Parts: sequence; C-alpha cells; structure tokens
Amino acid sequence: MPSFSKMERVIVAMQDPDVGITMRNQRLVITVIPHAITGSDVVDWLMQKFNVSEEEALHIGSLIVKFGYIYPLKEPKNLVLKPDDTPYRFQTPYFWTTNKWPSSELDYAIYLTKKNIRKQGDLIEYEKHNYNLLHKRNNHTWDFVVMQAREQLRAAKQRRKADRIVLDCQEQAYWLVNRPPLGTFDILEHGPERGNCLHSRVQLVIELMKKALIRPRVKSSICLEGVMKFTEQYQSHDPIMAGCLPSNPWITDDIMYWSMNASEVATPTKLRVERWSFSFTELLNDPLGRKEFMRFLEKEFSAENLCFWEACEDLRHGEHSKIAQKVEEVYQQFLVPGASKWVNIDSKTMEKTLEGIKSPHRYVLDDAQMHIYFLIKKDSYPRYIKSQMYKSLLARAIVPQETKKGVFPFMRRQRHSSPSPVLLTQPGEDAGKSKPAAMTTPGTVSQYHWFSPIIPSGDAKPGFNGISDSLAMLCSTPLQPWQDPCLALVRAQAQPWHAQDPAVSPVVLPCVCMFCVPFIC
Amino acid sequence: MGKEECKTLLDALNKVTACYRHLVVTVGGTSDSQNLREELKKTRKKAQELAVANRNKLTTLLRDKTISKEDRAEYETLWVIFSTCMEFLEVDMKKALEIGQEFPLNVPKRYLIQTGMSGGTSAVAARAMSAQNMKYEADSNIDVADLKELENEINQVGEMMVEMEMKVNVANWTVEAKQDPGAELKSTISVGASSVGMISVNEETKSACDPTKVLAGVIFCAFLFIAVILAVLVIKLS
Repeated sequence: MPSFSKMERVIVAMQDPDVGITMRNQRLVITVIPHAITGSDVVDWLMQKFNVSEEEALHIGSLIVKFGYIYPLKEPKNLVLKPDDTPYRFQTPYFWTTNKWPSSELDYAIYLTKKNIRKQGDLIEYEKHNYNLLHKRNNHTWDFVVMQAREQLRAAKQRRKADRIVLDCQEQAYWLVNRPPLGTFDILEHGPERGNCLHSRVQLVIELMKKALIRPRVKSSICLEGVMKFTEQYQSHDPIMAGCLPSNPWITDDIMYWSMNASEVATPTKLRVERWSFSFTELLNDPLGRKEFMRFLEKEFSAENLCFWEACEDLRHGEHSKIAQKVEEVYQQFLVPGASKWVNIDSKTMEKTLEGIKSPHRYVLDDAQMHIYFLIKKDSYPRYIKSQMYKSLLARAIVPQETKKGVFPFMRRQRHSSPSPVLLTQPGEDAGKSKPAAMTTPGTVSQYHWFSPIIPSGDAKPGFNGISDSLAMLCSTPLQPWQDPCLALVRAQAQPWHAQDPAVSPVVLPCVCMFCVPFIC
Repeated sequence: MGKEECKTLLDALNKVTACYRHLVVTVGGTSDSQNLREELKKTRKKAQELAVANRNKLTTLLRDKTISKEDRAEYETLWVIFSTCMEFLEVDMKKALEIGQEFPLNVPKRYLIQTGMSGGTSAVAARAMSAQNMKYEADSNIDVADLKELENEINQVGEMMVEMEMKVNVANWTVEAKQDPGAELKSTISVGASSVGMISVNEETKSACDPTKVLAGVIFCAFLFIAVILAVLVIKLS
C-alpha cells in the first residue's frame, strides 16, 4: 500500500537529530530507557513539517500510531495519539506494517507460546482462544513452535535488561496491531469474516470436489457407441452427408425442397415421416407429425393428454400477463375431477400441482406435464408408430426426384442467370425512387420470391405463403434497398424452423462441435 | 544413534534461527552497527552449515527403506520441524535484506530509527556461534557488501527447499505434534526467564503503583532492621 511507504518516510524524517523530534528518557523504577517521545511533540513536529493545522496533524499522528509505527508506552492496548505528554516510542523496522510480509500464523503462535511461558499460563481470554485455535490448525508444526519459543526467550536473556523490556514492548505492540482483540478497531481489516475467508474458500473447494467425485461419468466407449448409433440412424437424413432431394436450395437456388417440407403439406416426404419413428421428440417437433399424432389420439380417445401437454407448453412459453388466466383455464379443462378433458395424473403430482396453482407462475405445471409426457411417450407413441395410420402415411409419402445436375457443379449458378444480389440493390434504389417494379424481369422472379414476407403489405402472413402468392406480391411493389439479401435473416422469416434446413446438418454439426470443444477447453 | 544426532543438529539449527531472528529485529534501530551486520553474516553462515548437515542426515535416513515404522514416524516429525525452520529462516533472511537495503550505515543523511535499544547484540551472536566472545574482523562497509551475498544465499535456500521437497516425500499434515497446548509451561528451564519477564512487564504497566511498592519495600526493611536489633539485644541480655 502506498500509504505505508509514505508513513515510513515520515518516520525516518522524524529521526533527524537536527530537525527531528526531541528524544526524552523513559524512567522506570530501576532502568532508564532512552528514545521516548511525547504525543504533543509528535503533533507539533507534524504541524511544523507539513504546515498543517493541529487537527490535521493530530489525525496524521493517530494514523501513524494505529498502524503501529509508533506505540504508546503507558497503555499499550489503546492505540491513539494523545496530544499531551503521554510517552510513545518508535517501532523497529522489523515490526513495521508492510504488505510484503503479512504477519504469519506461525509467528503469532510462537509469540503466544512465549507469552504463555512468561506469564505461566495467564493469557488474556482472546489470546487463549487464539492459542487453542492455532494449536489445532498448526498441529503438525507445534513442536517447532515450542522449540523456537524457548530458544527465542533464551536468546533474549543475553541482552541487557533495558533492551529486553523494549523488545517485549515492541512485540506486544506489533501483535496488538496485527491481531487486535475482538471488538476493537482493526486497522488492517482482518475482521472475523476475513479471518475465516481462507477457511471458507477451502470449504468451497472441498464442496466442489465432493460434487465432482459423485458426478456420474460415462465411459467413452459407451458414449462413442451412442454417437455411432446416432450417426447411423441420421445419416440418410443429413443433407451434407447424403445429399438433399430434390436439390439443395442453397446451392441450386431451387426452393422446391422447402416447399415440399413445409409444415402444412398434404403429402410429406418419406424421409420426414421416417424421422417420426426415431424418437418422440422428433414427432412432436414436426408440426405435421404433431397434427397426425393428434388425429390418431382422437381416434383412440386419449387426445386430452396431448392437449394438456400443448397447453402446458403454451403456458411455459407464453406471455407473462396471461399466466394466471391460462393456469385457470388449464385447471378447469384438465384437472378438475369430472372435467371434460380430464387427464390421468398420479395423486402425489396432482396434490403438488393443485398446491402450486394457488400461486401460479410459469412453471407451476411442470411436474404434471412431465408425467403426461412420459405417459404418452411410453404408451401412445409406440402404438402410433405401429398403427395403420402411420404405416399408410409412410406408404403414401413421396420421394422427390433429383433435379438434373450440370456436368460442372460450379456452372450451376449461371444456369439460372440470377444476378448477384450486390448488383441487385443499385438498380433497386433507383427503381424505388422513380419506376415501379415492372423493371423486374421474369427471369429473376425465382430469386426474389423469398423476399416476399418482408414486404410490408397488410395481409402478409408470417410463415410460408406459397410461390404464387409471393410472385403476385412481388410484382406489385418495388424492391426496396433494405431488402438486401441477408440470407439467413430472410430464411428465418420465410421458413418455419421446423422444416429440415439443408444448411443444418444433424450429423455434421455435432461432430464439428465435438471436435472443437476439446480445442476450446 | 541416528536419532540423537539428528535431534542435536536440529536443536542447534533452532538455536541459531532464534538468534538470527533476534539480530534481524535490531537491524535499522539504534543498536544497529557494522558489528551487527557482521554478526548477521556469521550467524547466517552457521545456520546454512547446520541446515546442510541436517538435510543430508535426514535425507539419508528417510530414504532408507529398512527403518521401522516408528522410527520413520519420528524422522518425519523431525523433517517437518526442519522444513518449518528453514522456511522461518528464509523469511528472516528476506526481511534482513529488505531492511538492510533501507538502512545503510555509512550514508550521512540516513538515520536509524530510535527504537530505544542501546545495548549490543554480541552476546546473542556469541550464543549462536557457540563461542565465548565474538571477534570482529570485517571491513567497514560490510553492510553494503554483504547484501549481494545475502541475496545469493536467499536464492540458495529457496532452491534447497525445493530440492528437499522433491527428494523426500513427507506429508506435513500427517505428522502429529507430541506436545499438547501449554506443554511449554511444564518446563523448568523457562522459570528464570519468566520471572525476569514478569518483573519487566510489571515495571512498565504498574509504574503508577511503584511508589507504593517502594514504600512497602522500605517498611519491610525497617521491620527487618528492628528484628535484627531485637535479636541482638536478646542475645546481649541473655
């Protein structure tokens, strides 16, 4: 701390025999010890040296005393500077308060042991407490502590009586500053929390280690088997690995793929229907799959489960203001005994949910939802996959024809003769100002249709509009400069996320992530 | 026997460490002088010799696989004491370097802190060196010249401690102290020190009551004197 070095400089300046503080002698009964100073001397000297008022000099002086550079002789425990003739003395540089060598526990233990020997066990209460604490913490070095304490006392005996008294005072003053009794002002802020800080940090680490020990670990062989199975299952569905029928829109600019896999299509593709049989989540995540599943459940008279699940999802992801209302609706529709769509939840979960409904929040129906989810998964879902409905849908599903590819794959762009989007914006700017969109040539329409949802028209619906709609809308309004093809953004608005996006490969992305993660970590 | 030798060596190292600390406390104060710096140097060298001797002895003993379990436990306690002692010594040496640099002795404008110490430290150094008297034969600028050596020695000590950790695998925390808290009170050697200490402490804290103590002493002497006179009279009369 910079204040320490400043204080040290002040102390050294005080030592000057010409302009420093005048030294007096301290008279004890038999011995005379030199180099005592009075409080008023200190204050006067500070006032003169730094040209400050008495109040300020007193403040500076008391700081110096509090930090232990000067210690009082009459009342050692009272570290204040009194501007009268109470005697003080300078502390030896070994015991100065510097941050480089904070007082160590071992030193304190040795000091307390020495005091214990000298006073024959009559330590002050807080010192006794500290002593026992230190013994517990430093048990392994306690032999050294005792040995060293004894030797230090013997070494001290070799000095003159006066020096021994001074040494005792110095050490006492040092430890009063560095280990103040509880309740007194601690200048170095070693408060009770700080003192235990190390302890609690260790405890924290211990807690973390314990948790890490009991964390379940999967053998990499088992993990890798899982990855293998996953990749095998999804390989044919991966547009990068297995190609995309009819063609990858990102490459050929042909959006047939997206239109065929839209959420409300009459005849889905075979791959899509196959995916529903992989897992329940696949089925639920696909809107068409969910619709089909709902139809199946209606036939089986167990549609209320799926309705309940959907209502819970809606609650979880819905607006905050509508939460209470939604919870009430769900309760009335599904949970009241005798309700029209009563769901079969076990009694414990039902109790818990009913309790929670009294103070509704977003996640109050989570337990019930989980229960129903697993019920459907275990019960209705396998039946659906084996059902006639599913199998007939699978038979009806189409496999799209692959569009003809050119000999040179890089030539594909020129085939469609769509201009680069960069060139597009410049004529668009002029067009926006002067001419209507009749400028747009038919040849470029196929490029533009996917801008359609951005065009601010009153009846523009979110989601995919169909090719014909978009063509019509496009011809009526000019292309605005801000409809720059930031393609990802456009796509996100034009396409619902559920449809398989050829840019998102279910196989490649996890592999890439898996390989990147060790590098990142 | 190996154990006794080890113990004596360790005790000697402990003694020298305590004396060294005592000397370092006086650096920068009014007791400081060229002699003190020389004493520091000599004590340090002695400490290093003892440390090396200790290390060699204990290392050979602990690396010996044929010793029994109790013996090994004992040597481990000695080892822990030894390593703590070395850490202690290292810290004191660093402090000595720091303070020595701050308070060079022959510079005219640098003043020493007036700490109230007026006596010399030669007796302490003599105790450390196990000699009767100290001989001073160094130059007058030892305070500056010694600092470089001190730096090197601090590095050496640091390296030695790292080496020690590598060679001998003793877990510090498994060693249990033989002594309970307050064991030092049972020792009788310290009674002398305690009485002296008590008097000095009493002197400064109860200096206000001193007149009453003096009075009590005077009255006691008076009674003694009267008793002696009475006894003489009784003898004379009988």
